[in-house]
Amino acid sequence: MTRALLPAKNAFEQVGVMMILTVKTLISAVRPPYPYGEELVWQLLFVLKLSWFPLLVSTFALNLGAPGLQAAGILSLFGALDRLGGFFVVIAIRWIAPLVTAVVVSGVAGTAITADLGARKIREELDALQVLGVDPVKNLVVPRFLALMVITGLLDIFAIVMGLSAGIAAELLYHQPLGGFFATLFTNATVTDLWSSVMMCTLFGAIVAIVCSYKGMSASGGAAGVGRAVNQAVVISLVAVFFFQFVVSSILFATHPELQAIR
Amino acid sequence: MTGWLEVPRGWLDAFGDIGRFGLRVAGLVYSGRVFKFFGEGLRQAGILIFGSALIIWAFCFILGLQCGLQGAYFIRSIGAPSQAGVFSAYCDLREGLPYAFGYILAAKVGTGIVAEIGAMRISDEVDALEVMGIQPMTFLCATRLLGAWIALPFLYLVGIGVIYFASYISVVQQVGDVSSGGYLLIFWMYQSPPDLIFSVIKGMVMATVIVLVGCYYGYTASGGPVGVGTATAKSMVFNIVAVHIIGMLGTVVFWGANPRAPIGG
Repeated sequence: MTRALLPAKNAFEQVGVMMILTVKTLISAVRPPYPYGEELVWQLLFVLKLSWFPLLVSTFALNLGAPGLQAAGILSLFGALDRLGGFFVVIAIRWIAPLVTAVVVSGVAGTAITADLGARKIREELDALQVLGVDPVKNLVVPRFLALMVITGLLDIFAIVMGLSAGIAAELLYHQPLGGFFATLFTNATVTDLWSSVMMCTLFGAIVAIVCSYKGMSASGGAAGVGRAVNQAVVISLVAVFFFQFVVSSILFATHPELQAIR
Repeated sequence: MTGWLEVPRGWLDAFGDIGRFGLRVAGLVYSGRVFKFFGEGLRQAGILIFGSALIIWAFCFILGLQCGLQGAYFIRSIGAPSQAGVFSAYCDLREGLPYAFGYILAAKVGTGIVAEIGAMRISDEVDALEVMGIQPMTFLCATRLLGAWIALPFLYLVGIGVIYFASYISVVQQVGDVSSGGYLLIFWMYQSPPDLIFSVIKGMVMATVIVLVGCYYGYTASGGPVGVGTATAKSMVFNIVAVHIIGMLGTVVFWGANPRAPIGG
């Protein structure tokens, strides 16, 4: 019986340790000496350089396939292809943009962070840092945490732009004038949609950063250990992101009735 | 410092190699040479089922909840709450499940394979296999592909059940604009057996590519423990984009010309 419950106990322990790491990161991010400025800029550039291309390709492909052609197919049966703009507000802005940004950032930048920190842990560089009196959380985790939060929130805007251009591409594939698309898009889009999308994405960036840093810093067991750490980090961050998006969008829809208005 | 074009350039470099490697591994499975190690193939299938099934289904469940929620609120906003099943049927079967399956497979199975085979490569176990007269590509890669082909279609079919159940919960129980019978009527009306087959094909193509990419990056890993971590990260980058492109192409091929909806002539 106790052996059967071991995985659950293990999972709860890990969640607890991640929470502690989150609080530690937040406290050492705001507490005065700020030695991480240069590292922060470096990480911002690193994440942006790695993620921009996969993100653009992924959002364009996903939005062209799932909401673009599927929805355009059924709307064309009704002769109501101009309604695709309103549909894209729901799908591309509220749902897919934060989701795919988080998936791409966790798959591209998160795995790189885990591999990097894991390698440092295996080579005992983290212990050496501690011996030298350098706090690994403040100097390694905080810049990655802040960089991932900022960049994920900003990349969300690009995901929205690429998603809407995929919608335009779907309209063009059905030989439609674009006026109807833009008209329904702009009557249905609200400021709430935009800020909720960006906020959600920033939250996802924080989740991915914490999970990946934690898994990297607790890697053990030689060559197989780093690979295993990357594997676990990406699985945990994907599941956490999907779960949090469900919770956040449930709360958002229930508390903002203007999102459900007919326009 | 990495350059701005490093990721696309890396893909162009790797694409041909991955294609050739993948064709060789698939050839080893098709020519039946893998059946020399059929037991190992079954073991890999067992590892997939025991190690990854629960997490795959949990992921499908969360995406199903999300599909139902977004669909129910969208359909409410256009004033036809009873039609929530249309969105759920399309989102669950045609788009949502293949993507969910692809993401979690890339994360759990793909990177897992890289970590495993990469560690063997780093500690020279692959060379040791070759010295022992066992073809490492057949024993390590082809058996994993065989195991994936044995186990994953069934995991996918169960995943369809899980995602349907999740959408039902969130549309009927959580949002509650439509009765259970009304939801299910529309839901089942908007799908047909060919849709199921197309969806499975989409998911299985993604699974095959993910397993092959994982084998490639693991098999060619180099550079110590750091190298395994980097190879794992690289395979994830490649897989994420491959999943999206396969999903888009699948939609274009299967539903692009004919939306297959029970409307009109």
